[in-house]
Amino acid sequence: MAARAVSKRPARSSQPAPGASPAARPLPLVYLAAWLVPGGGHLWLGRTVKGVVLLVMLPLMFLIGLWLDGRLFPFTPGEPLVALAAVANVGAGLPYFIAQALGAGAGRVLSVTYEYGNAFLITAGLLNALAVIDAHDIALGRK
Amino acid sequence: MNTTSHALLMALFAACVAVVGGVLLKDTPKEQARSAAGIFGSLVGAALVLGWVLYFLPL
Repeated sequence: MAARAVSKRPARSSQPAPGASPAARPLPLVYLAAWLVPGGGHLWLGRTVKGVVLLVMLPLMFLIGLWLDGRLFPFTPGEPLVALAAVANVGAGLPYFIAQALGAGAGRVLSVTYEYGNAFLITAGLLNALAVIDAHDIALGRK
Repeated sequence: MNTTSHALLMALFAACVAVVGGVLLKDTPKEQARSAAGIFGSLVGAALVLGWVLYFLPL
């Protein structure tokens, strides 16, 4: 009975890989990696499954947002809601800067899917911010 | 782009949010799948319920 219990395989999970000690990572660099590369913080901390899913899903959401004629909002101090949307857009990390460099994300207000595109772009940035917070918890050993 | 199906886009959005949410909230694949299914169902269900409620409200 005891031998069976010992040989029983543990449940699959996205636990840290052997040798990946969260304490060994400098926190600011973890935050930077997690923000710039969606899932990058998780991959660095050994949470491979989570990292790969985030690395695929968040840029995919960002691309769908651009495909749906969504807009990357500018920082406009006089318009607080637009500025908040801009902050959410920047939350996507590198995809945002690449899209800006390529001139994408101008948005087409007359498009039927304009608002859907904005929802995808903004949500991708906000979910990446959640991923940064999750990486923070993992780095501190809370998860 | 040519996609004008709001229901399809709403389901696609809910699916994306559900996958990311499930992965962030839970640690084991089984829990993550269950959580993602719950988030997806909640988002789509809430959208349908709100859609019908708003349908009966005169504008």
